[in-house]
Amino acid sequence: MHPQAEGTIYPDVAFFVDPQRVAAFREVFGLTEGVPPTFVTAAEFQVIPTVVADPRVGIDFTRVVHGSQEYAYARPLREGETLTIRARLASIRSKGGSDFLTIETTLRDAEGAVVCTARSVMIERTDP
Amino acid sequence: MTRRAFDGVEAGQELPTLARVVTREDLFAYGEAGGDRNPLHRDDDAARAAGFPVVIAHGMFTMGHMAACVVAWAGEAAAVERIGAQFRAAVLVGEEIVAGGRVRSVDAEARTATLETWVTVQRDGGTELPVRKGEALVRLG
Repeated sequence: MHPQAEGTIYPDVAFFVDPQRVAAFREVFGLTEGVPPTFVTAAEFQVIPTVVADPRVGIDFTRVVHGSQEYAYARPLREGETLTIRARLASIRSKGGSDFLTIETTLRDAEGAVVCTARSVMIERTDP
Repeated sequence: MTRRAFDGVEAGQELPTLARVVTREDLFAYGEAGGDRNPLHRDDDAARAAGFPVVIAHGMFTMGHMAACVVAWAGEAAAVERIGAQFRAAVLVGEEIVAGGRVRSVDAEARTATLETWVTVQRDGGTELPVRKGEALVRLG
């Protein structure tokens, strides 16, 4: 891993809160209304693979596991709205023989207000 | 559904547990909806190559189940203002996962509750925590 990549901001990507996709997500978890609290994973999946594969970050993505995940909402997502996703490499750390990559993804609405902040920690296993 | 009222919620209260057996169909449907189509979650050969006997659940599938337990208690998806968790053990297809939680603290001014949450699986005579240190902030009615 290359610690100097810390702070890198990736290009904005549009994310449509597709009502059909939200409904499919709800159905998987037996929910009957609203946008499920972990639905933002669908937005993260549009940007995190780019970060993990970025040669400037220098990690072996075949050894990466998902360590932890957090979502904080300023307001609920609205079905049918289009948000802007921005991923930032919040930190790169080595601890106990493993490398930890924290990716912070923010979702903003058309007015530029933050709707949700997601923090995803990816761990590169360095054991043989 | 109606959002749970703040009155009556106290620290120490347990959430009703939510159990489900993980099926291949669940993992396929989740991969389509969530966008994670990693073969580890849909192809036994890929799972075996990674050292697992069969396909495993996405960490986010298991966390999504934990979130469903929180939503069932809160009464509304929009009540959940923050949710987080750590991933530890992998969950194999065919295993039963049980989500649970308890109220850690309440804030009467904000009318919110902070929950600690988890997901367990019974394996080899013991209890494992595929999702641990889960936490959620719920705004009550």
